[in-house]
Amino acid sequence: MANTYRLGHSEAKQKTIEFYFNHKKLTGYEGEPIAASLLANGIRTIRTCEITGENRGILCGIGHCYECRAEVNGVPNVRTCLTPNSQGIEVFSGSASVHEGEMEDES
Amino acid sequence: MKVDVAIIGAGPAGLTAAIEIMQNGLSVAVIDEYYRPGGRLLGQHYEDPNAPPDERVWNGKKVAEQLAEKARALGVQIFTGVTAWSVSRKWEIAITGAEVNTVSASALLLATGSIEKALPIPGWTLPGAISIGAAQTFTNLHHIAVGKRVMIAGVDPLSLSVMIEMKNAGIDVAGMALPSFTPALGYRHSPADTTLLLTDVAGLAPNAFVRRFGKFALARFPRLIARTLRFNFLKVNGVPIHLRKSVVKIEGEGQVEAVLLQSVTVDGEPVGDVERVEVDTVCLSAGLYPLVDLAQTTGCRLVDIPELGGTVPLHGEDMSTQVDGLFVAGNITGIEGAKVAMAQGKLSAISILESLGTSGSMTVDKAMKKVEEARKIAPLRFLPEIDAGREKMNTIWEKEGIR
Repeated sequence: MANTYRLGHSEAKQKTIEFYFNHKKLTGYEGEPIAASLLANGIRTIRTCEITGENRGILCGIGHCYECRAEVNGVPNVRTCLTPNSQGIEVFSGSASVHEGEMEDES
Repeated sequence: MKVDVAIIGAGPAGLTAAIEIMQNGLSVAVIDEYYRPGGRLLGQHYEDPNAPPDERVWNGKKVAEQLAEKARALGVQIFTGVTAWSVSRKWEIAITGAEVNTVSASALLLATGSIEKALPIPGWTLPGAISIGAAQTFTNLHHIAVGKRVMIAGVDPLSLSVMIEMKNAGIDVAGMALPSFTPALGYRHSPADTTLLLTDVAGLAPNAFVRRFGKFALARFPRLIARTLRFNFLKVNGVPIHLRKSVVKIEGEGQVEAVLLQSVTVDGEPVGDVERVEVDTVCLSAGLYPLVDLAQTTGCRLVDIPELGGTVPLHGEDMSTQVDGLFVAGNITGIEGAKVAMAQGKLSAISILESLGTSGSMTVDKAMKKVEEARKIAPLRFLPEIDAGREKMNTIWEKEGIR
């Protein structure tokens, strides 16, 4: 599998699962945070900033900073560092343009 | 859901407290936002030279698993992946992520731990710039390399131990350098201050530090040592520790590609050259501060004691607060290691048991002594003046705190 960032001594007997990131099929371990599965695949950009469009990825890893948020199975703004991965999960970076539109409406 | 005692935070303090309370006949629920119990224990893996020979390797994940298993076997309800949003008096805890929306309890223990200070140097939001705590978790808990080539910004006991852990896991660490000075960091980040901070780490990395300078010299002559490090930099486990350079910028198109290092004087003033080092990852280490939000909402008085790591709830040596039925333990009271947090957890549990008309496995006095013992033999101090900070808190408590 293409998990090139896994370190040699990974825990034995982890169950490999398939999940999707922006429609691309990837593999990960069941139960590890989605952010960990993404990083194992070398994916560092999880979303883009709703205001500047800049790339964003993991910062704190413990749910405090919300930088790693993504849409998971249709639910927006899920913190991927806290959310265990499982078979068939669909993760999306989310749509910056939609959010821009909403913000203009508010102002 | 109704329990005798609610605990927020399933780290070393919270889990230890839960076990002690449950073992003495009261019911407990523990609430934690992470998907598994253990808190900061989960990422810890190091050697403790002060521990007895058969306990020398500290495998935090294993300790966390044992504590959680013991707590669950006793009947502690551990909520993971659950966020505690607010607490109102006597006590209603509003939660999301569980089947129930509220946990009610007669006593509340806040063991919410600490979080990392931000290190907002230019480029810190690029993917590939991550906190040192996240790097520790990904290395030791998830066994995933945070990058192919790593620079660490911030030289302190935590970042040094994470560097050693990353090296042990086979990750290429290009170096460590001081964080660039930002007002957000506050004080103590000049080369001279940093060497002082490293006196305790001397014990953890005996090959490098002790042989070259010794703990004594680090503590007595920090400026002198910082000066000698100008050209002849220090190496720990083969990794250059640039005590006379600071990370001033992180560069990259869409993700981290390099860092800029600026030479600095002994007192941290920029001088001379800027050098570019190609890396794909930067770990940011600016130190930890107590996570006190929930304490604040209870009306508990907060006191700013820099020696403890920031603003902490006013509390007595027995872990009680001015607010009836509210107790604190672990890093919310000041930044220290897991063994101190565990001793504090037990102490807070005994105080809670006594406040609810029963008693624990030892007296409060005995449990307070155990906290001091744990502090004395702690393998590393995150804050050099922690004892003075504790003393300050006790003085304020005696003068103003006791109800």
